This record gives sequence, structure tokens and C-alpha cells, in this order.
Amino acid sequence: MIAFGLSIVESEPYRRFSGPGLRRVTEPDSEEYAFASVGLTSRTYNLILDETAKRDDLEALVLVDPYVELRDPQLCAKVRQLVADPEVAVAGCVGSTGARSLAWWRGQVRSGAIRHHYYEHGEGELDGLSWTRAERGTGEVDVVDGGLMVLSPWAVRNVRFDEALVHGFGFDVDYCLQVREAGRRVVVADLALARHSKLDFLEKPEIWVEAHIQLARKWEGRWPGAEPDERDWKERARRAEAEREAARAEAVSGELLVDARVEQLEKELEEATGSLPWRLTEPLRRLNKVRADAARRRASGS
Amino acid sequence: MIAFACSITKPDVYARCAEAGIRRVAEPDSRVHAVPAIGSIFRSYNALLDTAAGWEGLEALVLVHQDTEIVTPEFSARVREAMADPEVGLAGCVGAVGVRSIAWWEASVTQASFINRYEEHGGGDLESFSWDWDEAPPYARTGEVETLDGFLLVLSPWVVQNVRFDESLGQFHGYDLDFCLQVRAAGRKVVTMDVRAIHHRPLAMLPDPEQWVEAHMLVAEKWEGRTPGLDPLPGTWEERARRAEGERDRAVAKALWHDLEAEVRVLELERALAETKDSISWRITAPFRR
Repeated sequence: MIAFGLSIVESEPYRRFSGPGLRRVTEPDSEEYAFASVGLTSRTYNLILDETAKRDDLEALVLVDPYVELRDPQLCAKVRQLVADPEVAVAGCVGSTGARSLAWWRGQVRSGAIRHHYYEHGEGELDGLSWTRAERGTGEVDVVDGGLMVLSPWAVRNVRFDEALVHGFGFDVDYCLQVREAGRRVVVADLALARHSKLDFLEKPEIWVEAHIQLARKWEGRWPGAEPDERDWKERARRAEAEREAARAEAVSGELLVDARVEQLEKELEEATGSLPWRLTEPLRRLNKVRADAARRRASGS
Repeated sequence: MIAFACSITKPDVYARCAEAGIRRVAEPDSRVHAVPAIGSIFRSYNALLDTAAGWEGLEALVLVHQDTEIVTPEFSARVREAMADPEVGLAGCVGAVGVRSIAWWEASVTQASFINRYEEHGGGDLESFSWDWDEAPPYARTGEVETLDGFLLVLSPWVVQNVRFDESLGQFHGYDLDFCLQVRAAGRKVVTMDVRAIHHRPLAMLPDPEQWVEAHMLVAEKWEGRTPGLDPLPGTWEERARRAEGERDRAVAKALWHDLEAEVRVLELERALAETKDSISWRITAPFRR
């Protein structure tokens, strides 16, 4: 039996995104463990792990973020294939190698078929994780993103999310590190999903930084597969402070460039729609819209 | 005599920008010393200073980047006003206080009387906050600062004689902050004055981030704890490293996400434009637009 676990903060995203996705991919005997969030995702996930660990027939547990819509009808078959390898403990749809911090996307990112559905600027979909410069691909990685985590029965029974990471970020990275420290593998699989989210990186950036610090402290010097950082703290501080300022400056530059491009397009659009001929033909466009709406209504039978 | 000097790597840019501005504001007796660069900006500027140090009757030396165009007609009068105070060593039109690194724009900027004139995406002007004093925010003011933006630096004769750019700091970045800190360490003031300039430059702030990072580290190592305002940041080196690493990664992610949002904003507008130009209305009114 393949189980699906969700930590639910609000019902709406479940109704709109993860719920329909689950109906698309689950098998008749699949079981859904939707738990009300009890604060940290790690705490809720551990409750789900405790429950599913009791099942003798557990083949895998798929942890799904409520904002993730599963779109892969073959998901269960692929999950079975993944956990058939006893060395694989965790699989995901996107992950990376080479990153050495909570910012896993700074490593070499590999992903399955992810789409990012956004709701601003007229709504639309992009290749998911395009901002990470991800490459399509599968295989072994250091960590996977927590939007979708497939856990083997061994992982469910032997590894727990670290509830001491109190800031709420990094539970996924930490779990993967624990699994790898225990000698098991983490992989990216060719799974399809859509992530529904705003075009906004972090609502709580200061807390994210605290989480970054806490995770770095926990794994300093024992990050699986990484050489210890030989630089002294002063050298690290100097470089990181400089790189931080450079990153901020680059962010500002990026904003300026975009503003310039947007201004140019807005001007072009304004010129196009502000011309006299365009304004004179406005009634024609209104009429066309009424006709198109009516045709749509007829087609939908309402 | 107010003199002007410029280190040139692109003669066409100099002719279009700096030279145009100098012609606008120079007085009949002004000397203009515009010569090809001879290496780093530190080295090139020191050569300009060495030359100017030998000039009789120097009231001030104006160092401009080749892409800086001075536009204030009363420029020379304003320079004289600023240099009338013998304690003033340096003046400019963009400055900040509370500066902790070569990223001076992260500090409390008190004056920014310039336009960034760019050529990307059809070109345009970005007015900084005190370009138009009527529109300036309450914190905009002239007066003493800790650093100036080096695209326009006015040096007192004392500075020309006694201070030099630190050639050990690299090629370009950080030369202005370091020079301002040297002048202040020597007991002279650094001030902003009411003059304006156009900076003809691309919008990308750091075309060479690695060099910038190196300069940031060198200047921090040189000055941290050695001058008021540049006190060491709180915390042990380990704490500073961990926090900065976290904040760096956050800033990188923020920039990447911003790129994503930008892509979407541009897509939306391109879509609207394409829909407009593909419409029947647009096509049937085409003859009227010719």
C-alpha cells in the first residue's frame, strides 16, 4: 500500500491543488493521512510517520505539500520502482548536489516534470524551478525539496524529522542529510507535478536566515559527502559579507533592468491603445467581446 | 583655477559625456587634463594627482569618470563655495553616512543628485532622489558625509598634495570609499554640494562581481575598527560568517525569484501587446497609422 501524507494548515489549498492531484494518482488501496498541522511541518510529518510505520503493508509514504498538485498518473508505479532499490530511502521531484546549506538550489539542481502555476500578472504556468536553473534529469542527489518526498518503509521506521529545527525551514534538507548519514540514498525521479504559489520567495526572510544558521551549525563539519571547510571563521565571514553585498547589488540591478524593460513595453502598449484609430474602433471590440462571451456561454451550455 | 581631470579608456564615451560636461562648466582659465588610463583607476588617478600637484593657482581638482557629464551651470561657483572651508578635503554630489563597506548605497544616503542614463531596452533616465530638490525626500541634504560616489570627486589643493589612492586595493572598486576614509583620517571633511551630473552607464551595478567581492574584503580588512563608523560588526567571526552566509543565500534567492517575476511581468505585457496588434481593430485601422 502506498500512503500519502499531508500537513494541512488551511483547507483551501488542499481542495484546490493537492486534493485533485491525489484523486488523479492514487490507487484503490492507497491511504491518505491528512493531518491538521500542529505547528512545525516536521512535527506533523513525524505524527504521520508514526502512524504509517504501524502498517505492515506499507510500500512507501509520499509526503505532499498542500500546494502541490500531483500530475503523474503513473506515480504509484514509479514510486514502487524507486523503493524497489533497498538503498533508496528518499525520492523527490527536484533536488540538488553540491550545495552546502539550506539554500539547496545553489547546488546543481535536477528535476522531474515540474510546472509552477502562478496567479499574478494574468496567471499562467512556467517551467517549475526555472529560477534555480534546474536541469531535467534523474538520479542520486544530496537533498530533495520537501514539496514532494517519497519515503521508503525503512525511512518511515528509522528516521524522524528534526523538530529542534524550530524555524520551519529546512526540514527536508535535514531529513535527506540524516538519511545519507545513515548510509542510504536520496534520488530525484521523473515525476510530474505542479506547484501553485505566488511569485514571492519568502514571506519571512529573517526567519529563513535564522533557519540557515541553525542548520549550518547542526551539520558543520559532518555534511555527508562534503569536505570540511578549512577556512578560518574570519576569512569565511569576510567573503560571505562581501558576497552578500554583491548579491544584494545584483538584485537591485536586476530590478532596474526589468523596470526598464517593463516601462518600454508599457509605453509601446500605451501608444498602441492610445491612438485615435484604436479609440474609434473601441465599440467594435466591445461588440466582439459580447459575441465571444455569448459563444462561450453557448458552448458551455449555461 | 579649477581644473578637470579624467582617465580615459573609451575616447568616444569621454567625448560624448565627460568632455561635454566639462565644456559646459569650465572657466576660461580652467585646465583640462584628460589622458589615457595607465592601469587601475588607483594608478591612473594617482598619475593625474601627481600632475595636478605641480600646477600653480589650483583652487580645486575635479576628477570625473569618462561617462560622467556635469550639468550644473554654476558648477565652479559651487565648488568654490565648498572649498571655501579649509577643513573640506573632498566634495561630490552623491554621498552617504553610516557606511560600513564599499557597498555605500546600503548605508544612509544623504544626497544623490544624478541621473543614471542607460541604453538598455530603448534607453531612459533614472532620476536619483535629489536630482530635483522640490521632489526630494526629507532626508536629502547637502553637508558632511563619510563617503562619496567616485564618479564625480572634487579635491582640495591640500588633498591633491597630500593624499593618494591606495594601489594595493585592486583595479577599480572601493577606490572612492578608501580615498574618502583616508581624507577623513587625515582630519579633513568630506561633503556633498548642490551640483548635478548625468552618469551614462548601464543598469547593471556589478558587471564584475568577483573583483568587487575581492575589493570589499580588502577594504574591510584595511579599515574595519580603524575609523569611526567602521566599527567591527557585532559577534564573533563564526557568528558573522554564519549570518552573512545565510543572508547571502537569501539575497541570491531573492534575486533569482525577482528574475522569475520579471519574466512573468514581461510575458504579460508582451501578450497584451501581441493581442492588440493581432486584433481586427488593429488591422483595419492600419492605414490610419501610416
